[in-house]
Amino acid sequence: MPIEITMPRLSDTMEAGTVIKWNVKEGDFVKSGSVVADIETDKATMEMQCFDDGRMAAILVEAGKQVKVGTPIALVALEGEDLAAVKAGGSATKVPTAPVVVPPAATSSAARPATVTQTETRHGMEGFPTEGEDGPRMRVSPVARRMAEDHGIDIRLVRGSGPGGRVIKRDVEQAIENKSASQASAKSSTIASSQALSVSTGGVQTPSAPLALALPGRDVALTGMRQTIARRLVESKTTIPHYQVTMKFDMDRLIDLRANYNEKLKSSGVKLSVNDFLVRACALAMAEHPYFNASFAGDHVRIHEVVNIGVAISLPEEKGGGLVVGVIKDADHKSLRQISADTKTLAEKARTKGLSVQDMSDATFTISNLGMFGVEHFTAIINPPNSAILACGAAVQQPVVRDGQLVVGTQMQATLSLDHRVIDGAMAAQYLASLKEFIEEPETLVV
Amino acid sequence: MTAVLHNPLFREPSTISGATREIEFRDAIREAMSEEMRRDKRVFLIGEEVAQYDGAYKVSKGMLAEFGERRIIDTPISESGFAGMAIGAAAMGLRPIVEFMSWSFSLVAADPILNNAPKMLYMSGGQLGCPIVFRGNDGAGGQLGSTHSWAVEGLYSNVPGVKIVIPSCAADAKGLMKTAIRDDDPVFFLESERLLSIKEHVPEGEYLIPFGHAAVRRTGTQCTICSWGRPVNFCMEAAEILAKEGIDCEVIDLRTVRPLDLPTVIASVKKTNCAVVVDQSWSFASPGAELASQIHRHCFDDLDNFVYRVHSDDVPTPYSSKLEQEYLPNVRKICEAVRAATYRA
Repeated sequence: MPIEITMPRLSDTMEAGTVIKWNVKEGDFVKSGSVVADIETDKATMEMQCFDDGRMAAILVEAGKQVKVGTPIALVALEGEDLAAVKAGGSATKVPTAPVVVPPAATSSAARPATVTQTETRHGMEGFPTEGEDGPRMRVSPVARRMAEDHGIDIRLVRGSGPGGRVIKRDVEQAIENKSASQASAKSSTIASSQALSVSTGGVQTPSAPLALALPGRDVALTGMRQTIARRLVESKTTIPHYQVTMKFDMDRLIDLRANYNEKLKSSGVKLSVNDFLVRACALAMAEHPYFNASFAGDHVRIHEVVNIGVAISLPEEKGGGLVVGVIKDADHKSLRQISADTKTLAEKARTKGLSVQDMSDATFTISNLGMFGVEHFTAIINPPNSAILACGAAVQQPVVRDGQLVVGTQMQATLSLDHRVIDGAMAAQYLASLKEFIEEPETLVV
Repeated sequence: MTAVLHNPLFREPSTISGATREIEFRDAIREAMSEEMRRDKRVFLIGEEVAQYDGAYKVSKGMLAEFGERRIIDTPISESGFAGMAIGAAAMGLRPIVEFMSWSFSLVAADPILNNAPKMLYMSGGQLGCPIVFRGNDGAGGQLGSTHSWAVEGLYSNVPGVKIVIPSCAADAKGLMKTAIRDDDPVFFLESERLLSIKEHVPEGEYLIPFGHAAVRRTGTQCTICSWGRPVNFCMEAAEILAKEGIDCEVIDLRTVRPLDLPTVIASVKKTNCAVVVDQSWSFASPGAELASQIHRHCFDDLDNFVYRVHSDDVPTPYSSKLEQEYLPNVRKICEAVRAATYRA
């Protein structure tokens, strides 16, 4: 039996992956452990190993294509197996491009609302060839089809989670549940149907596409990372009741202290950034404010026992741009120097070979800092399942009133975005007050 | 199949009250044969070693002493001869029980048991019936090598005119054996050597179990597991493991594959929308294949996945004990099939 290599699930949230590059050609010998391809997951690019010795008989998914987890992407012929026969046997399962990247022509359905068109063409496409002019043939288990009929669910709008995108019983059950939930809560039928659609789609699909302008332009395909950003942040902004609280911090002492330390530590190659102080201040403040280190979990709030601070890292345009969150684990137990070293390592890795899933996992709180770009104030979107994110601006010299006197001081604005299900306004104010103490008396961050 | 329920002796052993009485599977079969021999003078037992040696597997222990050598009859090693002779006796009005030391040895008696017994009523235009029971050990698991490890239900269930009974526990074995002896058609009664020594509760008092009536061994909502004979016990073990994983299985013991109790299976699959068939014969053209086909036909609109099947591997039975266990439809294979069938793989 030839070995079928399928798209591996390389992270908990991964639902589809893109073959970035094949390191072998059809006909090449492969050994167990050899890296046969690079796979882009929702955020990282990872190496995929082969677990058998043999010869690459067929590459079923070419580089650049995205397919769902579990989809066959290559066939390996074992010793004694005929390459051509294996390939011939495998070609029947040849998988077309996943529809999320290239939506089929919308010309035939121009009159329909854009979202519906997109949804209909999207569903049922995954994993099997297009047939005929009526579009793809759907795979639906018999009981799923019958249940959908019984409950008035349009089966074409249900995303299949079975093999080859087959719509199975649990998908229809989910759609029925979504339908009744949205009908119960919706104020109008329009909202109800759009909710049913967006909830039942899920997966790697980007949420409903905005109406396109009929103007000349060029289309840029979404990378896996861009899809994840689109999906996760829409999910965050539409499901989490966000609100923002801003506070100003006097930065003079922190800046002096930093300059002083950096001067003394120059010989050992250490250069602390303002952000390093902020990471430590945020982490230490968790001890007094555990709800900032928590996740909303439906019927309860989970308070985490470890403090892992995520730091948003932007990627250079030539690397495809985008944004990742590197995670400083156990940040409340790390010195400034360790935080500084960890952050530099993560940023460097993110911008060169890319972060591993490990590097990006398990943040309990996130900091986004645009101060280095001269931004004074902005708000950030919560990085689920966090309950808060801190958006830091630049420390700028400005006129301040101190003891009734107008003087020149250096101040920074920081804005918390909060999940109101977990954290109320007064709690946010108290957290910022703690942060203010740490930042304005920065010696406390050292000891 | 409801028609046969009119016999007041038809009772489910699990519904019979009374003290717990644990006896071996072999004792249950002996009780059934002895009770029927006391009741009906036409019944006799014939086979190799059944009399002087008390049975090669001690199923007929003590029967020679009670019934004498005219009714407990030792034969030479000549399956074709004694099976044919017994078929003649049945046609002439007696009710023989023929013991094959192993059903594997029945292959040399294929002509009388497949060509004569099941066709006699039909070919004689109803003049001659063939009320006979063939019984013996069936299936692998005892390191008997490929030639002595046959699961003959794979071959014999293809033949019209035979009834095939494959009990999974002692209480059923007794009730089904009594029904077999009273049945007017040839009955192939397939015992498992691996079950013979297992002690189980068998109720006191007389009861019969009708053919074509499955027993629901465990109720569940997410997957129907259908089996018969020894593998039913593996299905129950698998269901325990799967329950811990959150997969709630219903286990149906068909008990007879001819006749096959489709209504019970269909009702269950309509509830669970998912079925796995476990059959210790080889998969090709097997009773498991037949049952899966029937489920597909009768439950087409109720299925969430195709019917998965677990069989013995498609090779001659290995002698090595480890290979033999791997070859059989074991607990691991059943769990894997159920996970796949319920999309939990």
